[in-house]
Amino acid sequence: MASQELTKNLFSVSSAPLWHCGRTVRSTMLHSLLALLPAAAMAVYRYGYDAITVIAWAGLTAVVTEFLMQKWMEQESTADDFTALFDGVIFAFLLPSTAPFWLIITGSALTIILGRMVFGGFGGSPVCAPAVGWAVMTAAWPEFMDLNAMLLNWDLIEPLSELKYFGVDAVAEITPVSLLLGDNLGTLGASQVGLILLGGLYLLATKQLRWFIPVSFLAGVFLTALIFYMIDPSQYASPVFHLLSGGTMLAAFFLMPYPSASPVWKLPMLLYGLFGGALLIIIRTYGIYPDGACFAVLLINLCTPLIDLIQPKPFGGR
Amino acid sequence: MMKIRLNTSAEIKGTIQDIPVPDVVRIPIPKKLKPVVKKKQIVGCGQVIAEISSKGAYNLGFVHASIDGMVEDILPDALVIGPLPPPKEGEDAVTPTRPDPCTELDSLSGEELCRKLLELGVDTSKLHATRTLVINGLNPEPGIIISEQLLQNTVETLKAGVQLLERALKPGAITLVVAAGRNVTVHGCTTVNASDTYPATIDPLVIYAATGAEQPANVDIISVLDLYYVGRVAETKLPLTESIVSISGKTFRAPVGTAVQELLNAAGCTAKTDKKIALGGPMRGEAIFDLSIGISKNSKAVTLVEEGFFPPVQPNPCINCGECVLACPARIQPGMLSRFAEFKLVDDARKQHVEACLECGMCTFVCPANRPVLQYILLAKQLLAAQDAEVATCRLQD
Repeated sequence: MASQELTKNLFSVSSAPLWHCGRTVRSTMLHSLLALLPAAAMAVYRYGYDAITVIAWAGLTAVVTEFLMQKWMEQESTADDFTALFDGVIFAFLLPSTAPFWLIITGSALTIILGRMVFGGFGGSPVCAPAVGWAVMTAAWPEFMDLNAMLLNWDLIEPLSELKYFGVDAVAEITPVSLLLGDNLGTLGASQVGLILLGGLYLLATKQLRWFIPVSFLAGVFLTALIFYMIDPSQYASPVFHLLSGGTMLAAFFLMPYPSASPVWKLPMLLYGLFGGALLIIIRTYGIYPDGACFAVLLINLCTPLIDLIQPKPFGGR
Repeated sequence: MMKIRLNTSAEIKGTIQDIPVPDVVRIPIPKKLKPVVKKKQIVGCGQVIAEISSKGAYNLGFVHASIDGMVEDILPDALVIGPLPPPKEGEDAVTPTRPDPCTELDSLSGEELCRKLLELGVDTSKLHATRTLVINGLNPEPGIIISEQLLQNTVETLKAGVQLLERALKPGAITLVVAAGRNVTVHGCTTVNASDTYPATIDPLVIYAATGAEQPANVDIISVLDLYYVGRVAETKLPLTESIVSISGKTFRAPVGTAVQELLNAAGCTAKTDKKIALGGPMRGEAIFDLSIGISKNSKAVTLVEEGFFPPVQPNPCINCGECVLACPARIQPGMLSRFAEFKLVDDARKQHVEACLECGMCTFVCPANRPVLQYILLAKQLLAAQDAEVATCRLQD
């Protein structure tokens, strides 16, 4: 009997469901990297070969660091799902294009180590990893992260530090169109606002990203800036300026929705975005750093477990 | 890549096709039932081959032979009936006895009728007298068209089923739920249109669509397939020995226990081991390893899934993206619950309402990390049930 059974063709089994929507971490990350590509190309066009070196060093270091850490932690390597590469590239987008290579390597490695591996890897991290890397670098070597000092070669201005140090009149000349096109000094990728927005819309259109967090974040930025603007237009910049300057767009589409660090329910996602946006304006207005995007993201990341307590009742629950 | 669609409503082209009566059937026998035939015994189509020992009216239905033949083998979970032996020389061929139509079916009502139905192979234990009855007329899962096929081709049988149930249960109101844009009614039922997109077709959500209440206590639900079986019994007055199965857009009527291989042949499908074969739909079906396994009354469909077409499910770490939460119709956190189960923190899983899970499988379907989310949740449920049973026995010993 048994030998008869063995000669038959046996089918492999698995438990239900047998279908899958086909979306994997790897495909999501490939889409995200594709969404970053236009902004990266624009950065190369604007800052030349420097931009390529920064992105390449950051990406390479992130992947290698993750590989080594996983080796050491006796985990299976996940380099092939491109999450580390994505984090590295996003970190590069937050740097000035002339950043020295030791800064890039240190920062990118810390992005992976402090932002992810100490929590067990991608998915365990309660904070957005690239924002952690940026924050550590900004606190440790502020002079190398200072955009105006690093980008002296270019005869342009950095809108947010102009606003910080010279007041709203200094940025009155900057039009929304020039901000969209990235015609001002800024970080490598985040300042290509229009193309970051394009990438974000691509992710929304391909359903790789839910609209809740980006839209509520931008609404939060807009509304808070509007309140300040209505209090005194001669002292505070317009909401559109805040939407289109610095890291706002990058934060909205790539930093805020960082999977493990953002809430999962609908209402919490909306609140998370709104409060994150409000924090960004508050940090820009009262903080000591010109751009508060990453700090706003990190602070609101820490509130995620709290916000996520707002849960609906389960089906049929009383 | 093929676009995966979750809406279940489909245009019905053909009619229900009969399968040639197979020589061998392998009739699944539920664990609670006891076989009442012996090996080598000659059985006629409709003869009882396994029955329940209790005398109550509400339990699993009896199982009957679905072809004339000889009992070849009694397996733990099935009974194999093969062809009749050739007559010995000088003797007449044995003629198996088939049961007579049960004429008293028309005169009975209430609990007695339910008991009779049970003996004829129809299980009414999920239905209760005087409650509101909802008929789930939505195709159960993507790729299974039986519900709409039956509503289109067998209205008379369904009507007979409703009339019989009215006599047996005296339900309060009867509501038929069909896909949006469809206009069918069965014997004066109120028709309600609802979404046909899986998981909206599973029973609790259909009840919600029909009554506006979540898990109400006074509502019962029956699928169109089960109603059709009741109707068949009412029409033929014979035991239920057939099964309706949908394969790749076609619907077949086959004797219970027909091998999956025969159905695949009839549907013109070829199956090599590069495919997964499941009894049931792609979302809740049960994969089988062997094509000689017979179909049961509740199989509903045979689903073929190409191996390697979908990313393999593996115990990857959860990345906390929240896709499962947005897909979950039960409004629980499947990802979190799966992690509780993974690390055996079942009490936390209970605190997070693991019992609200409707087992639709959407969490595993959408998971970008390809985690076996539903499987972990089922594990948590099972561990909790085992824990409860242990607690109960401890109490008894005190």
